[in-house]
Amino acid sequence: MRYQNATAYRFLAPYLLIFSIFWLWPIISSFLISFQATRTVPWRFAPTFNWGRLIGDPAFFNALKNTLLILVIQVPVMITLAIVMAVLLNSPLLKARGLFRFAFFAPVVVGEVAYSAVFRLMFNLDYGIINKLLNSVGLPRIDWFSNVTPAMAVIMIAVSWRWAGYNAIILLAGLQSIPQDVYEAATLDRVSKLKQFFYITLPLLKPIIVFCAVLSIIGTMQLFTEPFLITERGGPGGGTETLGLLLYRQGFKSLNFGYASAIAYTMAGLAIAISLVQLWLTRDPK
Amino acid sequence: MAAVTLKNVVKRFGVFEIVHGANIDVNDGEFVVFVGPSGCGKSTLLRMIAGLEDISGGEIAIGGKLVNDVEPADRGIAMVFQSYALYPHMSVEQNLSFGLRMNGNPKADTERRVKRAAEILRIAELMKRRPRQLSGGQRQRVAIGRAIVREPQVFLFDEPLSNLDAELRVQMRVEISRLHKELGVTMIYVTHDQTEAMTLADRIVVLNAGNIEQIGAPLDLYDDPANRFVAGFVGSPKMNFLAAQVVGNDGNATVVELANHGGARLRKPLSGAPPAVGAEVVLGVRPEHFFEAGEGDCDIAVKADVAEHLGSVSYIYANAGPEELIIEREASRQRATGDHMVVSIKAGQSLLFDKSGARIR
Ligand SMILES: Nc1ncnc2c1ncn2[C@@H]1O[C@H](COP(=O)(O)OP(=O)(O)OP(=O)(O)O)[C@@H](O)[C@H]1O
Ligand SMILES: [Mg+2]
Repeated sequence: MRYQNATAYRFLAPYLLIFSIFWLWPIISSFLISFQATRTVPWRFAPTFNWGRLIGDPAFFNALKNTLLILVIQVPVMITLAIVMAVLLNSPLLKARGLFRFAFFAPVVVGEVAYSAVFRLMFNLDYGIINKLLNSVGLPRIDWFSNVTPAMAVIMIAVSWRWAGYNAIILLAGLQSIPQDVYEAATLDRVSKLKQFFYITLPLLKPIIVFCAVLSIIGTMQLFTEPFLITERGGPGGGTETLGLLLYRQGFKSLNFGYASAIAYTMAGLAIAISLVQLWLTRDPK
Repeated sequence: MAAVTLKNVVKRFGVFEIVHGANIDVNDGEFVVFVGPSGCGKSTLLRMIAGLEDISGGEIAIGGKLVNDVEPADRGIAMVFQSYALYPHMSVEQNLSFGLRMNGNPKADTERRVKRAAEILRIAELMKRRPRQLSGGQRQRVAIGRAIVREPQVFLFDEPLSNLDAELRVQMRVEISRLHKELGVTMIYVTHDQTEAMTLADRIVVLNAGNIEQIGAPLDLYDDPANRFVAGFVGSPKMNFLAAQVVGNDGNATVVELANHGGARLRKPLSGAPPAVGAEVVLGVRPEHFFEAGEGDCDIAVKADVAEHLGSVSYIYANAGPEELIIEREASRQRATGDHMVVSIKAGQSLLFDKSGARIR
């Protein structure tokens, strides 16, 4: 038995080695770095240097506020949208189901840079199709990228566009696992389609919805591409700067690895904490 | 309470016609079983009565009222599904009361109905549990309970016992029978198990490939099947079919020669027109209708192949040329493989079918 275990570990060794070097070590190392002052050579141990700065840094709180704001609005809207899309995909009335499924999923495989460029064009002040549409229905055009609120809106729209379909596909699998005869039983019980959705579909889908929500929370906590590329590095004036962007700015522009590590740990900690609260709130009552 | 009438009911899925004009009259308070092999259209027929499946042609009436275009919930029926179809996220109590609560039924009445169903089915102590915390038999009871609280005029069961083990199946069978007596309402029950059909039914509807082969009381089907299909389907173990040829007709009887039994001949009196001489026919003999040598009208020799001793009876699987016969013997524990035996057939306890399977009476 012992011997067999040893053999197994020998087979696992290459993986464990690579995992340790490129995964485990950076995790530990960055934790240690977050307690060091890294602007001086050599680095020195200074436990409160970065963490102390974090607590009093307006840039950090601005990024935190932006990230949480996007999280609180975008995640629920996107999940709701994804549920609607999943229900539509699952409807027996839908024609060309395969085409829709592909169309919903396609944004995920589009390159980030290309998609960001397209969104910048679409929301362009003078030539963008969005402003053209607004004009055509008699609404004033909006300067999307010069004001904070519309800029935030663009980011939320973009992120939702990119990931709603992905979540819808996951939810669709959940929908399809609900047996048809449960709905038939409800039909015989004179329960309308709408009530069936709220009293049967949603409760049975809950574990999948929670799963999607946790995935989305983790994703949004790390939000980087959209504010970096679409609103040009968190513009206007840091109005859309997220924690991910702040981390990038500190770590790779200012080369302040200690502070960047502290931010990274804050992001991970928040993602875990929010997800746990989410799981706890939606746990099955026993 | 209500009678259920099917008139020329047809079901098509696309170009495939699955049910070809079914005519069935289920009387008020009757227990009718639809039985037939897998895929013959039993469930489809039941689901059309429930309204879960459109009717492609013909008419269905419940309680004298045409229901072709009536919503399932308004037909006065309740259905028990093969898979139980319980709401997985609700307790037993919620499962029972869900339909009534959703329809704004008065709370006191809902409670009364749930309590009564729980008493009838003896599930009162399970009320707080979720379906996944129940055994198969308990789930089945809850599913039946959910039907009872609706206080329907007609109960529909679609193979409700097929997911249970043999012992539980027998037990639930008895309970469903008791339930029928207690409630006295019309029940339509689908199964592919002929034993269930024989034990439960007032009348059985035998279906085959979307056609009704025969409708009748269990023992009528057993004693007097209309054709070879019904004869083979009803009764366990199955009826034996022996190839034969008509070699002569005298008066109101025909003489057939068995093809695989050394020219053994049986003279069988008929009430109708006899078949033509030379016609190929099939002689049907039930396992329990083989008698000791000399006791019947025609003796045949067979070689015992396998014997199954069940205690009270034994089934002997015997060969005679290409035919395998099942012979029932009372507690014959000695009979062993390879034995030669002679059994006897009685004209009065055998049935004659023509080549197409129709009965020759
Ligand atoms: N939705 C459907 N579309 C097309 N064909 C169907 C559909 N539902 C059933 N059928 C066909 O109709 C026939 C009868 O099906 P049905 O479910 O009524 O059989 P059954 O007698 O209940 O069989 P079982 O004992 O296996 O439940 C089958 O050949 C089946 O393939
Ligand atoms: Mg069926």
